Amino acid sequence: MTTIAPDDVQRPLTPDHETARSGGRITDLGWICALYELGQKAANGAHPQQVRQEILEHIVRGFDAESGSIALIVDGTVDQLELAAGTDLPIGLIGKPLPRGTGVFGHVVATGQPVLVNGDAAQTGLPLRASAERQRSTHSAMCWPLRVAERTIGAVAVNRAETSPRYTVDDLDQGQALTSLLALVMANHRMHVERDNRILELSTLNATMQRINGMLEDAQNQVIQSEKLASIGQMAAGVAHEINNPLAFALSNLGSLESYLSRLFDLLGAYIDADAALDDDNEALAAARRLRGEIDFAFLRRDTADLVAESRDGLLRVKRIVLDLRDFSRGGAEELWQAIDVHAALDRTLNIVRNELKYKAHIVRDYGALAEIECMPSRINQVFLNLLVNAGQSIGANGTITLSTGADRDEAWICVADTGCGIAPENLNRIFDPFFTTKPVGEGTGLGLSVSHSIVRKHGGRIDVESEIGRGTRFTVRLPLTQRASSATTAPTEVETSAA
Amino acid sequence: MSSLLIVDDEPNVLSAIRRLCQNGAIAPPIPDPKIATFTSPHDALHYLGDHAVDIVISDYRMPQMDGAAFLALVRERHPDAARIIMSACSDIDGIVRAVNHAGIFRFVSKPWSDPDLKATILEVLAHRGLLLENRVLADEVRAQRNVILRQKIELERLERESPGITKVRWTEDGGVLLEE
Repeated sequence: MTTIAPDDVQRPLTPDHETARSGGRITDLGWICALYELGQKAANGAHPQQVRQEILEHIVRGFDAESGSIALIVDGTVDQLELAAGTDLPIGLIGKPLPRGTGVFGHVVATGQPVLVNGDAAQTGLPLRASAERQRSTHSAMCWPLRVAERTIGAVAVNRAETSPRYTVDDLDQGQALTSLLALVMANHRMHVERDNRILELSTLNATMQRINGMLEDAQNQVIQSEKLASIGQMAAGVAHEINNPLAFALSNLGSLESYLSRLFDLLGAYIDADAALDDDNEALAAARRLRGEIDFAFLRRDTADLVAESRDGLLRVKRIVLDLRDFSRGGAEELWQAIDVHAALDRTLNIVRNELKYKAHIVRDYGALAEIECMPSRINQVFLNLLVNAGQSIGANGTITLSTGADRDEAWICVADTGCGIAPENLNRIFDPFFTTKPVGEGTGLGLSVSHSIVRKHGGRIDVESEIGRGTRFTVRLPLTQRASSATTAPTEVETSAA
Repeated sequence: MSSLLIVDDEPNVLSAIRRLCQNGAIAPPIPDPKIATFTSPHDALHYLGDHAVDIVISDYRMPQMDGAAFLALVRERHPDAARIIMSACSDIDGIVRAVNHAGIFRFVSKPWSDPDLKATILEVLAHRGLLLENRVLADEVRAQRNVILRQKIELERLERESPGITKVRWTEDGGVLLEE
């Protein structure tokens, strides 16, 4: 069986060599209608490849041919042909690009003229490829360009085997009229395919956009959170200066006052002691004794010390809040990244809080296998400290705090679970907000968890929380085992000791 | 006696530090403190024109001139006065500038701790005392070296004029041995 495939051109011929009679009859109106119908099939969702094949088979039948093929110019190119359909061709060839400018297809597309090939292809002067020489079984073939509005969109070829009569110039001319029809059908078909592709593309795009929208929403929430932190940091830096100055002299003056008062009271004490030895008749002395009783001297003396101590406590609390606030604005201070043993770090932190916890919490250590992790040690210790202090504070009278650790692939997890009061569901998504606290005034600044959160985020990890009212809370810190070079350059802010 | 000059645009800070330094009951006591305070760095510089002080303490953030610039001027005019800077904000750039240009001895952040501030002042005083003593001793050594040098030059001159005159050998009874 012989086929004019683009690279296999056989006997060529120019019209004056041809001898055979045409056998094709393509004047049938039914055949033309069927061709149109095939063109419409693509609009109804048929597979484009299959429709092209059916169109080709229809043409092969119409031209009484043995075989045929269609090549189309690839979108966006001038002369790159691609095999769109073929009979008697290996399946794998369909959709494959053809070498530019060679073969009968290449010639037809380049010249825009139909070609009739009878006999030896080598004599046609067509730019043939070596493989064509090898093909000896001879026959007759016709190849027409497919043109729509002066634009060549491809070419179609039909072939006859030796046993059939050769095509004639008449056949070529007759085919020319039909192939313009075919070109329209193909162009139409291509438009349908393009439309379908576009619809598919649009719906994919739509789905992608919805996904991106979701991601944007998440990112926006994160941006809002970090903007909140950043603006607090900026405000803190400005406010810190304004607060620290008055705080400085108030605290210092309180110290001086305490020292003055203590000396004044010493002096008064000495007078009171001396009073016992003095003459009762003195009028001024009697007045002083009366006054001493009225003002309740013993109480004043006692309470003054409390008063100063409490005031100092208040000022020190302000000082600590300002320090906590400053942690948000500190960008400069950087700590070295080190590989540390998490278990040793946890034990050290436990030692610090043991006094606070020992009367109400039983501590269970359930450490798993965990390699060293690369982190900023004091920051990570700060996170552990905050979580442990929180766990302790959540336990009213008696409870258990369980510390467990482990690793999943390139991630370490450290879990702090308590049997304390739990967190109300409506508060769960606010616990990392700066200044959010459910503790009594003065016991927490509401910064501990948000500082911990930002530390863990800067390590490229995250904190998960599960909680049930009355049952307890479980915080799980997940940290990458190693830091990539990029994340090591973003230094977490310095963090001072503070519990949320 | 230790003389201190303190500059801060906040008068209350000045009085607080004055009280603290003069209060011997808050440890450690500063021996016989003489304290001058200014809210303006310019006034302080004017005062320094005809007064010597041991320590200058300055706030960092002030409206007219920042503490680093002020202390740099103090260093230029009175290199022997020890310099301490205080700040209520953690402005790293400013601190770096103060250390590099004003050659400050200590940085104290506000609010300070009373005993720490006094201990810092005493430490800086002691350090400054050592530096000054060191310089006096070094000057003495140099002066003595000059005396020795003059004697050596004279010896060399004599030796040039009368070779061998500096290498006279004496007999036990005080006679001079002449080699012929």
